[in-house]
Amino acid sequence: MARLALEGLRILDLTQVAVGPYATFMLGYMGAEVIKVESCSRMDISRGQARPTPGAHRVYPGGEPGEEPWNRAGHHVHRNVNKMSVTLDLATPQGKGIFLALASICDVLAENYRASVMDRLGLGYDVISRVNPQLIYLKISSQGATGPERDYGSLGSTLEQTAGLAAVTGYEDGTPLMTNETFPDPVVGILSVGALMAALRRRRHTGRGGLVDVAQREVTVGMQGDAFLDFQVTGRVAGLTGNTHPARHPQGVYPCVGDDNWVAISIGSDDEWRGLCRAIGNPQMADDTRFVSSKLRGQEHGAIDAIIGHWTSERDHYQAMHILQAHGVPAGAVLKGGEIITDPHLKSRGFWDWVDHPEAGGYKQVTIPWKLSKSPRKQATPAPGLGDHNNFVLGELLGMTGSETEELVEQGVIGTRPVGAN
Amino acid sequence: MTDDIPVLGDIRILDLTEDVSGPFCTKLLAGLGAEVVKVEQPGYGDVSRRLPPFLGGQSGPDVSGMFLYLNTAKKGITLDYETEEGASVLRQLAQGFDILVESCPPGHMDSLGIGYESLSESNPGLIYTAITPFGQWGPYRDYKGSDIIAQAIGALMCVIGLPGREPLKVGGNPLLCTTGMAAFSATMIALHVRDLEGYGQFVDISEMETTAVAQIHTSIHYQFGRAPERRPSNLTRAKDGWVSPGLETGVHEATWPRVCELLGVPELVDDPRFNTAPARRENQQELLKVVGEWAAARPKEEIYHTLQGLRSIAGYVATVEDLLKSGQLANREFFQAIDHPDVGKLLYPGPLFRLEGDSWHSGRAPHIGEHNADVYGGALGYTGEQLETLQQKGII
Repeated sequence: MARLALEGLRILDLTQVAVGPYATFMLGYMGAEVIKVESCSRMDISRGQARPTPGAHRVYPGGEPGEEPWNRAGHHVHRNVNKMSVTLDLATPQGKGIFLALASICDVLAENYRASVMDRLGLGYDVISRVNPQLIYLKISSQGATGPERDYGSLGSTLEQTAGLAAVTGYEDGTPLMTNETFPDPVVGILSVGALMAALRRRRHTGRGGLVDVAQREVTVGMQGDAFLDFQVTGRVAGLTGNTHPARHPQGVYPCVGDDNWVAISIGSDDEWRGLCRAIGNPQMADDTRFVSSKLRGQEHGAIDAIIGHWTSERDHYQAMHILQAHGVPAGAVLKGGEIITDPHLKSRGFWDWVDHPEAGGYKQVTIPWKLSKSPRKQATPAPGLGDHNNFVLGELLGMTGSETEELVEQGVIGTRPVGAN
Repeated sequence: MTDDIPVLGDIRILDLTEDVSGPFCTKLLAGLGAEVVKVEQPGYGDVSRRLPPFLGGQSGPDVSGMFLYLNTAKKGITLDYETEEGASVLRQLAQGFDILVESCPPGHMDSLGIGYESLSESNPGLIYTAITPFGQWGPYRDYKGSDIIAQAIGALMCVIGLPGREPLKVGGNPLLCTTGMAAFSATMIALHVRDLEGYGQFVDISEMETTAVAQIHTSIHYQFGRAPERRPSNLTRAKDGWVSPGLETGVHEATWPRVCELLGVPELVDDPRFNTAPARRENQQELLKVVGEWAAARPKEEIYHTLQGLRSIAGYVATVEDLLKSGQLANREFFQAIDHPDVGKLLYPGPLFRLEGDSWHSGRAPHIGEHNADVYGGALGYTGEQLETLQQKGII
């Protein structure tokens, strides 16, 4: 039963930056063959500049861009495992022709440009679907394929604003804040996998491909449905809510021993409150009439936080979590980058893949948010160097001869070094 | 199957989940036209029926905005499967379903004799999706979770907030919703495999792992030597809220003079602090001051449209109220009106993606046990008398 779930599924991957590459690396983990298309004049932005300016906003192993920075940039390395790399200048007629030839042998085309970029290249859905009516066109964009804002540019951080997340993220006495994690990117990457599976199922039934239109803004809005209903009935607009929850009291993060160490605690029932009182060695507090109901605990947040904070501040954040959880209290250490990659639970579940990247060295790779008992995840293959698979894809898959591909190199249609590297 | 049959029109889903993550998963499956039968404890029901916001002041099982949103297009039945007789009814029921989704603590369903092992014996095509805070095995498997716990232990919140203050969560229940999406995608992969190979399987979903996937920078930055830190935002005040002008990222070199003209600062056209994108990034705070004076007098959404028109990557901090008025979302008919006897007709966020030729299913959420007669009478062929007996025993 070790067959990979998506074996035989071939994806032509024009996605770049974050949201699309996240979707396609997950599909690669499940066995799909992913052909990432870039060009030497327009690489995936995640690869950074061919010759980065000092202090550029990119992350290289050890801070060293190295000889081929575009193949070592952290964002590229981390988001493009399980893919092959092909370069094709889509502005040239040859590039377009090869692209359409590839589209005719692929099951899926994925892209996350501004909505009309592909149309302007003459490679929009209408053209592609004529070449391959069975092709599924996965179009991930910030605003969707239609509408007056369809060509607006966005980043994960601006989507957090325009989709309503920033308005509820921030200290209660502060201003709206962003996640610094471009949160709508990974989220929509995760959802797009399921959307594509739905389209594949539809194709099995109808024999035809089709357009899948995923708007990052809509997905992000869709995480806040309750707030929309609330506003329409009561006129309430939640505002900045800090670390609080409307029905869980107390809830927050509490300081622990060490530099910037915290434990999150979230009490959802009277039982959990009693557990917390026991865990912190203060069982009689469970009978304290000031705190006996969730509502009262919400009102007395300040007093309770001081008591809990006093207890946590003498403990390590992991230790505090384990003690609290042993008493049935929802608690979690606030892990940092160095901690999540060594966390014993994720380790025992085999969450991280160790990847030896030829340019970037060894590192722990994020994998997928699911475990299927009969459809294993494949071991990650390192993110490809630019144009690493030109010969395989054009030669083996499209049957071009060596002299044909060499000619394309000479014409600058394909290549392995970005413009500006020399 | 023809075009008029929804993509999951032939799929029946037994939904034992409650709270947020699981119901979000089955809401998406219902959106694709699957028949989702939500199973609740008699009398008590899904815990989210008792979660705010309560629409109309009074709390009650049918007025929680959380419940109503998360359970659209589902049928509702009651069953106390914690009892032996109830478990046996569930075992019978599960025979007729393609997918079962649950969010019980790990091992709980097994202890009732209705776990995956037992149910798949007689229904080998069954896809069984289990959603928990930490997954089915591993040292934290019995630990409890919530949205903030996932954000903490999944290394997301360590980078949110301001330097020198405590880490901050993303507002709402975004990690529980994301976990629901992960469960949806995974279940759809399992269905893909079943369509091709015929067998079902067990799908293990964890809120911690979902969050660990959602931290897109923290772990890799740390490993490549640039540990991320909490930092202030690049927002500036508009007349009625906040905007991020985005001039440091998106604006093309040739457009900068137009931006200066717009802001009424022609003297900055050749100013080396701002006349290239790297310079604008370098001097972001100074630039914000210049833009800030201009922005303070204008409405945020107008600023957003104006600056996007110059190819800046601008954003505006939209509230739920703003989003209900958004021209873009209205143009795409994103919000869909759903009528409900207790709260009336309201606009709900609609399809999270659109498949060509398929429409999104979004009927109202069910009352507790609303479809008992349908489901028990139809699928299991229970007579009215049998139903009454089960009801008297408190099983349904």
